[in-house]
Amino acid sequence: MTTLLNKTNKKALIERLNIFTAFALGALAAIVVWRLSLAFLPADSESAPLFTREDKITLLSMIAWFVGFMTGIGALIGPFRWVQGKDLTHEENMFYAGKDLGVKRYFRYTTDHKVVGIQYLVITMVIFGIGGILAMLIRTNLGTPGGGWIHPQAYNSIVGTHGIIMIVGTIIMVTGPFGNYIMPIMIGARDMAFPRLNALSFWLIVAAAIPLIWAQFIGGISTGWSAYNPLASQAPLGMNGYIMFICIFAISTMVAGANITTTVVRMRARGMTWNRTPIFIYGVVASVALALPAFPVFFLSQVMSGMDRALGTSFYNTALGGSGWLYENLFWIMGHPEVYVILIPAVAALMEMAPVFTRRPLFSFNVAVMGIAGICGLSVLVWAHHMYISGWAPLLNAPFMLTTELISVPTGMLFLVLVGTLWRGRLWMTVPTLSIFALLWNFMIGGITGIYLSDVPADAFLHGSMFVTAHFHYTLMGAGLTGAIAALIYWFPKMTGKMLNKRLSWIAFWLTQIGFNVAFIGMFFVGLQGQPRRVEAYADIFSKGNLITTIGAFTIMVGMLILLHAVISSWRSGVKAPMNPWHAKTLEWTVANPVPLENFEVLPTVTSDAYGYGRSK
Amino acid sequence: MSDLRSPGQDYFQSKWWKRKDVKQVVVIWIIATALIGYLSSKIQVIAMGNPASETMENVIHLITVFTWASSPVAGFVAALALQALSQKRHHGDNPPPEADHNISSSPRATAVWIIISALLCLFALVVGLIALQKDDQALLDRSAIHVNVTGQQWAWNYDYPGSTGVRSNVLHLPVDQPVVFHVTSKDVKHSFWVVQMGVKIDANPGYVTQTAVTPNEIGTFDIRCAELCGLLHAYMQNKVIVESKADYEKWLASQPDTGHTTWTAEGAIE
Repeated sequence: MTTLLNKTNKKALIERLNIFTAFALGALAAIVVWRLSLAFLPADSESAPLFTREDKITLLSMIAWFVGFMTGIGALIGPFRWVQGKDLTHEENMFYAGKDLGVKRYFRYTTDHKVVGIQYLVITMVIFGIGGILAMLIRTNLGTPGGGWIHPQAYNSIVGTHGIIMIVGTIIMVTGPFGNYIMPIMIGARDMAFPRLNALSFWLIVAAAIPLIWAQFIGGISTGWSAYNPLASQAPLGMNGYIMFICIFAISTMVAGANITTTVVRMRARGMTWNRTPIFIYGVVASVALALPAFPVFFLSQVMSGMDRALGTSFYNTALGGSGWLYENLFWIMGHPEVYVILIPAVAALMEMAPVFTRRPLFSFNVAVMGIAGICGLSVLVWAHHMYISGWAPLLNAPFMLTTELISVPTGMLFLVLVGTLWRGRLWMTVPTLSIFALLWNFMIGGITGIYLSDVPADAFLHGSMFVTAHFHYTLMGAGLTGAIAALIYWFPKMTGKMLNKRLSWIAFWLTQIGFNVAFIGMFFVGLQGQPRRVEAYADIFSKGNLITTIGAFTIMVGMLILLHAVISSWRSGVKAPMNPWHAKTLEWTVANPVPLENFEVLPTVTSDAYGYGRSK
Repeated sequence: MSDLRSPGQDYFQSKWWKRKDVKQVVVIWIIATALIGYLSSKIQVIAMGNPASETMENVIHLITVFTWASSPVAGFVAALALQALSQKRHHGDNPPPEADHNISSSPRATAVWIIISALLCLFALVVGLIALQKDDQALLDRSAIHVNVTGQQWAWNYDYPGSTGVRSNVLHLPVDQPVVFHVTSKDVKHSFWVVQMGVKIDANPGYVTQTAVTPNEIGTFDIRCAELCGLLHAYMQNKVIVESKADYEKWLASQPDTGHTTWTAEGAIE
């Protein structure tokens, strides 16, 4: 090992960098910049807003953390070598890919897509764990009417943090683990188009996590995940953590989006025409391609927010010529495509599984592609339905109502594909199969309640109420997360070489699905009764519905803990998985367990689509 | 992949409506549609309680219409799903035998599905536009009185017309009298929600937004802030008292002049 890169017995720099050096260098940089800026930044003038100097110091320290961390993990080695005019050698590239590194490769800037996929899987589970704990705190506080036991400031911060990290968790939950691990094998490639960018996109998320945790100790994120201005500009210093988090995460999403799109367009196996490309690939590409225009806007909105706080600009300050509506527009121009960034790959994963577990072809592949494309196209034209009652542009309410309701047509196509595939199939009852039914149920409720909300007069009653909260949990969690968990069970054998415990995952499925429906039907009810969102106290008439929701939420928690136990125990000591446990026909099942470093010895040639099930008459 | 003359065509050319599974689906569909429509609309109406304005009656009506319009779709998906589940199910570690067909598309079913969903979409749009038109017209009502609403962390204040500077923090309104609210905020964004009257409009700092309603029930109703506005957002709520015209005039006359607001001809904040 030590002599791999170097004739002497000294370790080369590239071998020394790992997660520990990254954290050390990041922390060191943050502390140095913090001390320096504390010493040298001039005091604010009397007229300046309250937090400006502290905001500058906090933001500078966080930027220093970010630069230090990325340097410490080794993200700059490649570009640095390139500047020097000597690119990485073959040995160095193999080292980067994690060859012969064992477990250590998961803690390094490793470029192998399979390592990145596992890294994404683990960080997604950590994110859901933290977000879930915060959800439990919220539901415990809301178990009884009147003020709960959490201080309002802390409560608001818990709501905001729960919101933003669950959004991030759901954005990466399918395209992260499965888009990275499975997708390149599924299209018959040896790796992603840009392996180093792949590592970059993952480690950016780790770098982004720290400002968010940091924020909790300097006032929290008390604005909800939407961080509307001017509330955000009067919020405590923790807001800077949110701003940094979003900026870094947005870069990660853009990098991953460019990488995945390029990989799918350029690196599909010989013979894999677009008509023979599995539907899951379409879902992943649609998701990241939709994120490509959306996240730069998010990035920009937060840069402006940070400038308003730290540099005294007035993008959003009405009194000085800015506009809060500008922020709302920028936010939702990202925010509405973003829900489909979450949803599409999860539904596509279930569409991929449907033929396997019904032993018949996917029904109407073309309609599935049309549906995905239609949703992508329309989803960038609907953002202002979040602003019907903001007063920004009342005349635009009717056109935005039209575009929003039109989305039900391509969404209906996805339903058609799923029920069409179930029709006259031979059901193989596995948890992914059950998940298809659960998705139909939950997504139907989420979709129909979306129609109520898209209607302007009805929205004038429902907007900002718990009804909205229940609606988007039905889509993002009931449909999205259900699909992601099914994807985990389906591809677990390929990713870990073990089968996921059937009994435990079956129990987890039923507990989470029943708990979920109890929780959020209760929440629909209190929403219709008139309970606003994001409140830490409520009137007595809402107490029954809230109690039901809290009971449901704890049932979900038990289910999720059982699933976590199943994942950990099966990963460590589960039954060894055969190469193709589901007898599926996509390419990822043609490679051995564990998947060799470069996936295929000979690149495959594809001669038909992957859905050739069923006996022809 | 899916050439146009797929086996699905044969399926339609035979007497498909006589198949057992098709009949099952139709029966479950009818039952599921009735159940879903009835139960959902019932629960929704119970939850939303008694309306205190025509606007709210319209909202309840709209939601009921949407529920009934979408229940055949939900019922159909439920019927297909339940029919699939009622077939012979396979358990075990090895796959079941292959299905007895390889239908990969059905242009006719797809066309029917898309046309029906587009028609339902159009229906929802038209119903919505009619209701929206009514709400917009209410803003232009000449007979309306005007109330200025000012949100601030974490309270609402109301300034009344025809009086010099009456201000209250519990809203008083005369029954059956159209009213236009002019809403703004002193600090951050709030959202002015008169719950049982079904109207809501954001209170933005620096701008004035309008919404209109005609209360038609005497009683005490809720006003809540519907946009997270900081520490005590949950407590930013109070009441609206709707009373007879005489009681309202009496109350207005009894209020002291606080000298708060100046009024323009339209009643908006200057």
